This record gives sequence, C-alpha cells and structure tokens, in this order.
Amino acid sequence: MTLDDLTRTSGEWLRGTGPESDIVMCSRIRLARNLADFPFTNRASRNEKAGIESQVRSAVDAAGVEAAYFDVNAMSDLDRQFLVERQIISRELAAGEGPRGVAVTPKENISIMVNEEDHLRIQYMLSGFRLPEVWDEINALDDQLEDDIAFAYSSSLGYLTACPTNVGTGIRVGVMLHLPGLVANKQIDKVFRALQKINLAVRGLYGEGSQAFGDFYQISNQQTLGKSEEEIIKILTDVVPQVLQYERSARQELVTGRRQHLHDQVSRAYGVLKTAQTISSEETMLLLSSVRMGVNLGLIDDLSIATVNELFIQTQPAFLQKLRGSELDSDQRNVARASLLRSRLANGRAVEDE
Amino acid sequence: MICQKCQNEAVVHLTELVDGRRRERHLCVDCAREAGLTLPDAPPDLGLDAVLQGLIQKNVGELVGELAESRCPDCRLRYMDFRTGGRLGCPHDYRVFREGLLPMLQRFHGATRHVGKQARLRPGASLRLRLRSQLRQAVAREDYEEAARLRDQLRLKDQHA
Ligand SMILES: [Zn+2]
Ligand SMILES: [Zn+2]
Repeated sequence: MTLDDLTRTSGEWLRGTGPESDIVMCSRIRLARNLADFPFTNRASRNEKAGIESQVRSAVDAAGVEAAYFDVNAMSDLDRQFLVERQIISRELAAGEGPRGVAVTPKENISIMVNEEDHLRIQYMLSGFRLPEVWDEINALDDQLEDDIAFAYSSSLGYLTACPTNVGTGIRVGVMLHLPGLVANKQIDKVFRALQKINLAVRGLYGEGSQAFGDFYQISNQQTLGKSEEEIIKILTDVVPQVLQYERSARQELVTGRRQHLHDQVSRAYGVLKTAQTISSEETMLLLSSVRMGVNLGLIDDLSIATVNELFIQTQPAFLQKLRGSELDSDQRNVARASLLRSRLANGRAVEDE
Repeated sequence: MICQKCQNEAVVHLTELVDGRRRERHLCVDCAREAGLTLPDAPPDLGLDAVLQGLIQKNVGELVGELAESRCPDCRLRYMDFRTGGRLGCPHDYRVFREGLLPMLQRFHGATRHVGKQARLRPGASLRLRLRSQLRQAVAREDYEEAARLRDQLRLKDQHA
C-alpha cells in the first residue's frame, strides 16, 4: 500500500455504518505508550529516535498487523498534510523532526504513530458508536505490541507518558459527533459547558487553518489517572446518548417547526454543491453539513451518508492536490474542488416535497 | 553584658548547639541584625502557630528552589525545564520529580494512583535506559573506550530483553 493508493480508498470510519451513525461519525480510542529504555521523544537523539522507530516497526510486524509504514520524516509537506486531513496522523507528528512515521492498516482503522509526543500513539477507529468494541480491539493490539516492547510503566502511576496529563491509562476515548441541530438552535454551548463540568473535553474538528469542520465535534475524556479504561469508557457511553437525544430533538424541532425552511436550506446546499464552478473549502464544509443532515432526515434520498462523509475529507486541500498530482494554489483548488463535487454528486437530486 | 562583636550593650542572648557543643552569643542590636537575626520593635507577640507557619513557609520555599534546580541524572532535564516546556524527558523523571508532580497530578486528574490495565514486568528495561544515558554522556565527553564498553553491554542486554 502506497500513499497514492489511499487516494482511491477511504477509511472504514467514514462508511456511515454502526449504531447511531446518523450523528456519531466514529468512535476512536488512542493509547499513549513509551519504550521503557529510551528517553521520551522530545529528549531523544536522532539515533535514539531511529532505534525507537525500528523497534516499533519490528513489533508491529511481529504482531501480524497488516499495516503499511509511512516514513513521515522522508515525505513531502503535502503528503504529511494529506495524512493529517485523513485523521491518520496528528499535526504534531507532521510538524515534528527526526525519524518518525506511522503504521496504517488498509481500512485505516488502526494507525500507530511513532515518535509523536510519546513513542507510540496507538489509535483505533470504527464508524458509529461502539466504544466497547474499539476497546477490545485496541486492548488486544496493545497486548501484541507488548510481546516485543517493554513499555514505560510504574505500578503506582501506570503507563508513563511525556506529558503528565496522559499518565496512568494513557487513554483518550473519543467520539466524533455531527451536531448541526444543536448548532442551529444555539444550544451547543450549553451542552459543552455541561460536558466540561464532568471533565470531558469538547473540540471542534478543524479543516484548513482554524475553520470549523462542518459542525463536527469530538467529545473525549481528559483525565487518565485513577480510573480504569472501562470506567472511562462507561462515562462516555453514559453521557453521549444524552447528547444524541438533544441533537435528535433539535433536528425534530427543525423538521416539524420549520420544515419548509429546512427543506429549502438543504436543497439549496445540495444544488450549490452539484453545480458550483468554484467553491471554497469553508463553504463546502458548511453546505456538506446541511446535506448530511438532509440525508439523515430523509430530505435527500439519492445520496449515501458514506459519500457525504468521504467528501468532507476529499474536498480538503492536500487530497485535491494528490488527486491532481500537482500543487495547486487556492484559486485552482477551488476549481478542482467544485469539479470533484460535481462529478461525485452528478446523479443525485433532492426529494420532491409532496 | 557587652556585645561580643563590638563594645555596645548586648540585647540578644542566644544559646546554640553547634556540633554538640553549647555556644553562647551575646549581641547588640546592630550586630544581631547584621547576623541575620531579626528583632521585632515591639515585644514579640507571635503565637506558636505563626512561628510554625513561618518555618513551613521558609522550608517549602527552599524545597521549591531545590526542586526547580534538581536534574534527572539520566536525561539531564531540570524540573524547571519541565515547568516551562510542559514535557518530561524520560520515564525516570516521574521518580526524580515526584514531589513536584504529585500535587500536579492530584489537581489535573483528581488522583495520584493508577487504576486499570497493568503492563508486564520488565526488570531489565530501566537498566537499559540508564546504560543508554551513560552512553550518550560518554560520547559527549569523547570517552570512546567507555562508549564502546557501554555499547557492548547494551547489546548483551538487548539480546536478553
Ligand atoms: Zn555589637
Ligand atoms: Zn529523565
């Protein structure tokens, strides 16, 4: 598998399958791990980073994970950005220095970043709301990697990490939610404040620059010490359904109270995406978010959720440039983006209101 | 009584134990001040609590200063560097800077003890971290003989890891 192969496929987590996938784009868990016999990445020499990288790579091979390894140190800025857009690597790994990389499975469920803030950042993603399943998978993978790696661990403090905010379980349990209803009825800040009170972090997802990524938000735990992995997962599986409930009633209100207005907004968004000759990333995210909600509410019936999900990723700047095989400036990207949208949405049409 | 340092009237009378021996000191106001002994203008009305508080403050203050300057023998990170950069340098830092880290962990996580998945025991790993840091330091001071010796030792340990 090469980086170019990735432009022809999309991650399983974009398929729009799994429980609650009208709102929950994906469930994701990451584990922070370090090798016990090396300094943390920020303090490791070039040689040591290379040593860490080769140990992790052979552990991944030995674990029998069918993964391609991408050398982030050797790749172009464009390729790095491409992997960031796909949620395969973090901005921090992209911007890092020295030997570092990522192992990725073909369906992109697993990514293992090497020499990020911690030596290993193991990530497992599945579409829909299924955190316990994700935990079973990543827990088993962690065990397999441990066959070949001595993890930095203390019996009192747990897994030792470069930043004390991750020490203990080293776990980050998150769900990516699409919340256009709560954004529309302006209740979203209220929901966020309530989540922050119980120590859950809410982050907007960002595309190009700092612009919000089409009403998508990630909710995740912050505290990693003093609670077991299962307890942390339970907090999320208890709380997220309440957020889903709020979002569903917000959508229902929109449908019953302002159906015509909503249908108009969704149809216009769909129309623009299908016909535009040039379109910015910002406008695309905004309109795709409307269309996604429209599909989920039955206002558009000839478009799959998977296609909409994929388009959020495929209309990003690096993807467009990889697809074209050349660097494009902002104006050229807007033209390429519109052309991609027209061809992907060519056969769709909005539902006629009876 | 006359001040032991000058000819003024001594107003401070101290009995100290130095190396198990009693030593008496009689000083005037100026010499006492110069020796770092503060004299309240009004008669001392400090309760025991205030005295204790002063002692605690003084000791904790010194501790923080000492902690700030303290350095991990393996990765050479100073606690101060961690406080400015936010990242620790190696797994041993959790032991070296324990005093500073525990209150921080309590504040952030509301806990200071791990609960959950346990890693397998790897007794050799911590020793390899130490050997590696010694190797780095040997290379830095261009002691190549020592570096070669450490490299061999590490190779041996890696095989038995
Ligand atoms: Zn005197
Ligand atoms: Zn250290």
